[in-house]
Amino acid sequence: MKGFFDTFKHDSWVMPYLRKYRFLLVLVLLLGFLTTFTGSALMFTSGYLISRAAQHPFNIMLIYATIVLVRAFGIARPSFKYAERLTSHNWVLRIVSDFRKKLYQSVERDAVAIRQRHQTGDILGLLAEDIAHIENLYLRTVFPLIVGWLLYLFVVIALGTFSWPFAALMALLLGVIVILMPLVSVALNGAREFHQKQTQQRLYTSMTDAVLGVGDWMISGREKDFMDRQTGPLTDMRNLQTADNKFQWWRDLVVQLMIGIIAVVMIYWAGSYFQTSHLALNWIAAFVLAIFPATDAFASIPQGVSEWPVYQDSIKRVNQLDQNVVAPVVQTHLAAEDFKSLAIDHVDFKYADGQQAVLSDIDWTINCGDKVALLGPSGTGKSTLLKLMLGDEQPTKGAVKLNGITIDKLQNDRGKLFGVLDQQPYLFNTTIMNNVRLGNLSATDDQVKAAIKAVELDQLVEGLPNGYNTLVEEAGARFSGGERQRFALARILLQDAPIIILDEPTVSLDPITEHELLNTIFALLRDKTIIWVTHHLEGITHVDSVRFLEHGQFEMIGKPHDLYQTSDRFRSLYDLDKGR
Amino acid sequence: MLIVLAGLVLLQAFSILFQGVFLSRTLTDLWNREAETRILWPVLLFAGFFALRQILVMLKNRVMQPWADQTVFDLRQQLLQKLVAIGPSIVAKQGTGKVVTMALDGMNQVNTYLMLVVIKIFDMLIIPTVLLVYLFFLRWQEALFLLVIFPVIILFMIILGYAARDKANREFASYTQLSNNFVDALRGLPTLKQLGLSEAYADNIYAVSEDHRKRVMGTLTIAILSTFALDFFTTLSIAVVAVFLGLGLVAGHIALFPALTILILAPEYFLPIRNFANDYHATLNGKNALTAVLEVLNTPVPTDRNLLTDPQAAWTPDSQLRLEHVNFGYDTPDETALTDISFTANGYQKIGIIGPSGSGKSTLINLLGGFLTPNNQDAGHISVNGVTVPHLSQQAWQRQFLYIPQAPYLFHATLADNIKFYTPDADDAAVSQAIASAGLTDWVATLPDGLQTEIGEGARGVSGGQAQRIALARAFLDQSRRILLFDEPTAHLDIETEVGLKETIKPVFANHLVFFATHRLHWLNEMDYLLVIEHGRIVEQGTPEALAKQNGAYTALRREMGGDAL
Repeated sequence: MKGFFDTFKHDSWVMPYLRKYRFLLVLVLLLGFLTTFTGSALMFTSGYLISRAAQHPFNIMLIYATIVLVRAFGIARPSFKYAERLTSHNWVLRIVSDFRKKLYQSVERDAVAIRQRHQTGDILGLLAEDIAHIENLYLRTVFPLIVGWLLYLFVVIALGTFSWPFAALMALLLGVIVILMPLVSVALNGAREFHQKQTQQRLYTSMTDAVLGVGDWMISGREKDFMDRQTGPLTDMRNLQTADNKFQWWRDLVVQLMIGIIAVVMIYWAGSYFQTSHLALNWIAAFVLAIFPATDAFASIPQGVSEWPVYQDSIKRVNQLDQNVVAPVVQTHLAAEDFKSLAIDHVDFKYADGQQAVLSDIDWTINCGDKVALLGPSGTGKSTLLKLMLGDEQPTKGAVKLNGITIDKLQNDRGKLFGVLDQQPYLFNTTIMNNVRLGNLSATDDQVKAAIKAVELDQLVEGLPNGYNTLVEEAGARFSGGERQRFALARILLQDAPIIILDEPTVSLDPITEHELLNTIFALLRDKTIIWVTHHLEGITHVDSVRFLEHGQFEMIGKPHDLYQTSDRFRSLYDLDKGR
Repeated sequence: MLIVLAGLVLLQAFSILFQGVFLSRTLTDLWNREAETRILWPVLLFAGFFALRQILVMLKNRVMQPWADQTVFDLRQQLLQKLVAIGPSIVAKQGTGKVVTMALDGMNQVNTYLMLVVIKIFDMLIIPTVLLVYLFFLRWQEALFLLVIFPVIILFMIILGYAARDKANREFASYTQLSNNFVDALRGLPTLKQLGLSEAYADNIYAVSEDHRKRVMGTLTIAILSTFALDFFTTLSIAVVAVFLGLGLVAGHIALFPALTILILAPEYFLPIRNFANDYHATLNGKNALTAVLEVLNTPVPTDRNLLTDPQAAWTPDSQLRLEHVNFGYDTPDETALTDISFTANGYQKIGIIGPSGSGKSTLINLLGGFLTPNNQDAGHISVNGVTVPHLSQQAWQRQFLYIPQAPYLFHATLADNIKFYTPDADDAAVSQAIASAGLTDWVATLPDGLQTEIGEGARGVSGGQAQRIALARAFLDQSRRILLFDEPTAHLDIETEVGLKETIKPVFANHLVFFATHRLHWLNEMDYLLVIEHGRIVEQGTPEALAKQNGAYTALRREMGGDAL
């Protein structure tokens, strides 16, 4: 139980929405209750009807009211159920809209950090899955549980009007199903869940090894080892599932046997209670038959509740997103056309958890119109320096300033000030037109087309069956890496920011494509200030100056031509790139 | 096993029948004010059959679960055997993510599918039949009504199902697209942030989602009508039967006992079809997963993989590999990825494979590794040391080479085990030597557990350059494999890492036949023979010096790759 309350201590994901949509929620629960109630009532009235009819009343009118009730309940039950399903879906979908927005906003605050911590974006898929889990929490656990308990309360109170001792006995017997069994399930499942997660992780690892490393297994001739390695986790998984199934079967059996006991107790109670008169006898069948539909609502509770540990994880994870909220900095404005210089003023940087300084005493001023290249082996802090320039990270010492204003005060304007072309520009799963227009939402169709023409993709696009309205497919899968970069470049042209940051935009391209793309970039952006992080010396002639970053400092500074003459290292790297 | 299941279901059908009969008997006796002792037996029998019925539910599961588990276990094993028999080409074709999902979640869904579907179909066939036969003996009028209503229900479900299906399918497609859009927006967040759009986009997400909700609700109103129809007809049938019976009782055509029995058994009669309909959608995923797995299992495996003996395949300074007029195409027969490939590789040659991206360099490497098999209907020939083979997926041949792709796969294992992958019996001294040769000694010294550090999926991450060095360490360690297949090993590395790696790679070239696909010019200086590929054809081949003299494809390609000079 402690775990249960801990989960909701700092909760901003589950409880607020229960409150926000409380009227709809009450409706869902009411309809859920009515569905089961009318189901029971149908059997109740039918039982009474038949018993009463068997006494051969002189006049059909004596049982007419019951006949009407039987028909009414017969129609009401499916109708309530239909309404209940619609309403609960509506409720869940409303919440999904809220969740999506909230999740997006949480991630948005943290966008850059998330990219850094999780390269592939898997975490995002995981979070989207968490939302789905919380949806299921409502549909599979919360709704059935509350409806079940409402019904439980109703049954006990209703029986209490006849006999309190009997109502207490039923409260006890039904309590085994609606309270004891769920608690037992969730307690047992907690331990099992842990074990299952471990096994699943092992299975996942061994399957991934099997699938991704299949070429190595094949040519190493170790096919037997390969199969042997899988057998362990596969067998464990099977055993675990068997154990889990067995528990569920036993639990369901116990629940059903309890229902049997309840039926027998009901038979004896009704049998003795309603012996008072000729007419009272007719209630016996009514009460006994009403039990079975009602217990349907109780029987699904233990399973729903035992899924709690899964949902708990999801709730914890999404709540964690809200933990590290940083106080906002007061923003100011800088018009794009006023940009004069970007100054990195004696900056030191190290990550919060890191021991060693990533950058030490970097001092660099980039003036409007400069074209500079930043080089260095991977892991020397080139990307960190870019993040500092954009204000995604704050320097440990020193400051980054645009026209003398520190960069963290210009975050609202960064879309107007900086255009960024990185290794994997993202193309959204929408049309080409919409994708490029993201650079400037107020651009006309003609302006978008002009930008696409400028990056030399007009012929390719116009050759497609749907032209500019072609969908780019997931993550732009329809186009090659070079084409994706060109679409992103078109976006930047529309964005028309004064400073352009190129973060290794050609890293995954072949030399010919790389060469052509760089020519296009530098030709189109000749009026801009360009800061280019590159991994190769291809196209280095496009820039005015080169800086080599190594061990957190600039090791080499100069014009490409001068460096080629004076630096052996530069010359050897350059010649290698040229294939000399 | 199915017979056992059928037996159990039949037994269950009878316990349901007797449970109903004895409950009805009990209630009738109570109604008749029989003595308490008189109702003891009916109550006990009711309770007994009720318990038996529930125990049979468990027994059915117990019979079916081992079968379903075993089937899934076998399917998984077959899938893995298939993968290792065909190799990377099947993974590439299906998509890595899809294959892993298929092997894990997909198989779990198949398990659920097998369990639910088989049991529920048996229930649906046997239980209503048994009950109906009894009811016919009891009172044919109501039984006839129940018999007739059954197909009517199914018919209505089908009609409504069809009506809603198209609309629902469209809506489902839009739903998938929407939830993808959401993930899409999350993944593209850094880009949105760069464009200064990220904050405003939140409202867009909400608006799209709300818009979608309204449309979905519109569809659901129709889509769940078929479930409503099932529910409506079964519940109403019970009500109708109850009213019929009531009228029959008033008129004196029927006694209380049969009337109550029919009333009690009517819901049981409909229960199996309701259960089946409820789980139908849950099982669809399992069905699709099963189809997907069977499709993979039906992929043909290359046969004749043992045409070469180990001595025949052994690569020595005098060995020769010949390809003559070899063609290869992926699925479509008229489109070939490689056309008319002919060349000869002798002894310890260093053969560079160059060409623009998409020209077929990787396909050729995969063909040489036997991961792809050439089209066999045409006149192409492959021979290894004079022995003609239909393809290079020869086990003896595959024991002769090491394959080093752009991103070598590192297993979730210790660093030592990763390096010893091809030579599990190598001793520590040899491993240390290989690590030194691959230039990893300094890096290993920084690892917390040295050679015993776990790396790979879910463990310590390794950079691209280090992964290449680990793959090279495998090559240094394995002295028996004399052929190396490199597929653009340095393509994604920065120039300085590439320079360092090149110094490490060069020594392994000695005493090896090397195939090296690359688009970095400086590697060509290390080669003594070049294959220039364009559009799947070898357009030029020869020594670098000879090709440089011709003003052909090679010089043109070099010029294009070279770019501007300082």
